[in-house]
Amino acid sequence: MNVTIARSLAILAIVFYTSPLHGQTAAFADAKLLCTLPWDADWVTAVSFVGNDRVAAGNKQGSILVWNLPASDSEKAPPPARLLAGHTNEITRLLTTPDQKTLISSSLDRTIKYWDADGETTKVALVVLNERARYEAETRKRKIPDPIEARAGVQRHSRELTGHKDWIVNLAMTPDGKTLVSGADKVDGKVKEGEVIVWDLPAAKEVKRIKLGGWPWGLAISPDARTIIASERIPLVFDSGARSGLKIWDVETGKIKADMSKELKERMCSAAYSKDGKYLVVLRGGESGGLSGKITLLDPATGKKLRETNPGHLDGGTDLAFHPDAKHIFSAGRDTLVKIWRIEDAKHIRDIGQGRGGQFKDWICAISISPDGRRLATADMAGMVHVWALSK
Amino acid sequence: MSAGNVMRLPALPVQTGSVIHVGISKGQLLTGGLTVFPTNTNNNHHSRRAFLKATLATAGGLAIANWGALFNSETIAQEARRSNKRCILLWANGGASQIDTFDMKPGRPTGGPFRPIQTNVNGIQICEYMPLLARHVDKLAMIRSMRTQSPDHPDGIYHMHTCYKQSERMPHPEIGAMIAKYLGNPDSDLPSFIRMGSTGNAGSGYLGPRYEPFHLGSDGRLPYFSAPLVTPAVQDRRSELLDFMEQERASRSGAEAFESHRLAEQRALRLMRTRQVFNIDSEWQRAQERYGSTSFGRCCFMARKLIENGVPFVEVGQENYDSHADNFVCHKANMDVLDPAWSGLLTDLAERNLLANTLVVWMGEVGRTPYINNRAGRDHFIRAWTIVLAGGGVRGGQVYGATDRDGREVANDPVSEGDLFATIYTALGINPRVRHFVGARPIWATPEGARALRPLLA
Repeated sequence: MNVTIARSLAILAIVFYTSPLHGQTAAFADAKLLCTLPWDADWVTAVSFVGNDRVAAGNKQGSILVWNLPASDSEKAPPPARLLAGHTNEITRLLTTPDQKTLISSSLDRTIKYWDADGETTKVALVVLNERARYEAETRKRKIPDPIEARAGVQRHSRELTGHKDWIVNLAMTPDGKTLVSGADKVDGKVKEGEVIVWDLPAAKEVKRIKLGGWPWGLAISPDARTIIASERIPLVFDSGARSGLKIWDVETGKIKADMSKELKERMCSAAYSKDGKYLVVLRGGESGGLSGKITLLDPATGKKLRETNPGHLDGGTDLAFHPDAKHIFSAGRDTLVKIWRIEDAKHIRDIGQGRGGQFKDWICAISISPDGRRLATADMAGMVHVWALSK
Repeated sequence: MSAGNVMRLPALPVQTGSVIHVGISKGQLLTGGLTVFPTNTNNNHHSRRAFLKATLATAGGLAIANWGALFNSETIAQEARRSNKRCILLWANGGASQIDTFDMKPGRPTGGPFRPIQTNVNGIQICEYMPLLARHVDKLAMIRSMRTQSPDHPDGIYHMHTCYKQSERMPHPEIGAMIAKYLGNPDSDLPSFIRMGSTGNAGSGYLGPRYEPFHLGSDGRLPYFSAPLVTPAVQDRRSELLDFMEQERASRSGAEAFESHRLAEQRALRLMRTRQVFNIDSEWQRAQERYGSTSFGRCCFMARKLIENGVPFVEVGQENYDSHADNFVCHKANMDVLDPAWSGLLTDLAERNLLANTLVVWMGEVGRTPYINNRAGRDHFIRAWTIVLAGGGVRGGQVYGATDRDGREVANDPVSEGDLFATIYTALGINPRVRHFVGARPIWATPEGARALRPLLA
């Protein structure tokens, strides 16, 4: 009997250690901080890789910086190489097209802008990377630290979409880079409405406009560009999910295909389809106390709830992304952590980073995974972009 | 004794000197034509009551209400009533952010994501999410230099409704009660102090139950139980019987609580005669185009209707300002509601020639911090915040006071709670230093040193 059990265990061990799953899990176990890119002018609210070796981040003031990343953690953190100037309010989302040639940004300034990844820079700007620390020292009558300055080439946008008339809070695109979808707050001054615009991305032209029943937040488009998922919210103090909705829309007809609002009453801050369209996930956001920032996996066709991750992020999630291996989801939250989840069973694999202590301490606003899956970038309220090496 | 005899009971109080007592003397036989004697014919009884009143008012901190009788202020009230002024208080419950509404700091680290827009007054900008109100700024007087003393909700709500600190153990009346006393019509069947939504809760304090607020639902509707179950004639007979019995009971027991209960009953019954005033369903269909299709908008419309029908003070509360987290989306949602409602109210009042006599006040219990915390929120702030007045008695199109470049401190002309109330009372024709007595203790409508802001007054 004992021999039989021992044999079985040995076989299981061999199967596990030789499986691709073990390899990936081990890879994530090796995750380590590659570099910290300080940009303490304000909250860093959006981030996206541009290729595998560059990262772009946008902040609350509407600036976007681009860094060329070092090859290893032994190198010094680089200064920003480019300043993408043109937005006048908070950057809410940054995406890079699959060919890695165009960065797309959305903003509370009601515009979407295209930026050529290798566009021409017109002049050099002096960027003070510790602007906020200096301001706070001044207001508190403390010694003002010396400015940490960097010179970055200034680049202007190549195209602009101006179809929205209010805050644009989210962007998503299909994996082929042909379709873009954007979500914005109220329309025409009416109370508590929102809208989604589906765009022909290369042509920068509006294809479809869908009116929502509330302000959009989490937003995603299916790989075939036939459906979108959008969460709706009517913000209320301390109970932001009290009036919320979550619906799948048919892009062609503009009609609701599935309404999950009753089953998922929470306010969803982020949504994503897997590249193969098999999975649809949503992340609960908003401050609602406890380990509430959970991911729910849905059937993309029906919206039916399949699985839920547990435990969630403390006090709500903020952003999520599928890993290119199509087996893992990464989520970020107000607890200043990135959590890695296995899709097939919604199991928690591990956390990256550390909770920084205190209540709601400088949450991570956005994450991005490099196209090769080897790097992770996080943007946070503290004014930092962290780049992690996920595998050797 | 027949019901008919009971119905002939006199309703008017009998005045003896400066003290008004309402009641029937102990042991008096009620037969037909009734004789009423002042209750102080029983000296022992009176002395005991006076003693108890004084003791409770001073030692216990609970004023025994004299229902206005001890106040040498009826002349002032008559004078104030002649002004025909009214007041609507739009209460931003939880405390609105001044930087995100009327004292914007664009481009500063404290500024937040909202942007200012031009208004119909050169040089005055307000938040972009109040585009309708921006057309009425010529009617608004903004006080950007409020510096107050009570930083939390219970004390702030009390303080900003009474202009006195909650820690004082005297139950001060709310502004609504004070205005009801001085501007209300005693003969009106409608209450003189009506409120809806999340508002103050200090009540009429030492002014007594006559000036207690009457609450409508948060959608401006009468409570469901207000519908009469019997015909008006039957109701009248019942109420007069009840009135008699309560007076009789009060005179026997000497308990003031019966007076409070009796007044509440009377008010309720009188209100039932005028309940059609509260039925705005048919008008609301059209009015919501102007006020916005929200409960707050409906309450603002109701406030206009009540003012039009002679109610001197109406308070309308708007919930959802206490945004320690996610301040900006919450304030944006609030302004979506506030903008059409407030601007619709001003438009409506102006079109009906009511605005010149109706003071509209917008305030909450606190402002919100210039600093944006790491919950994307703003916390309570009392060092430098904003309150807005409009209409009757104030000169619009102006800003009083200023804050520094980041909104952290008042730069000039700080305004206290007392100053604000003195300004409001003066605008309404009420002497801000009118004196009341609780027992032998004199109390003024506004604290010592309070001064009306003369540049704001029309």
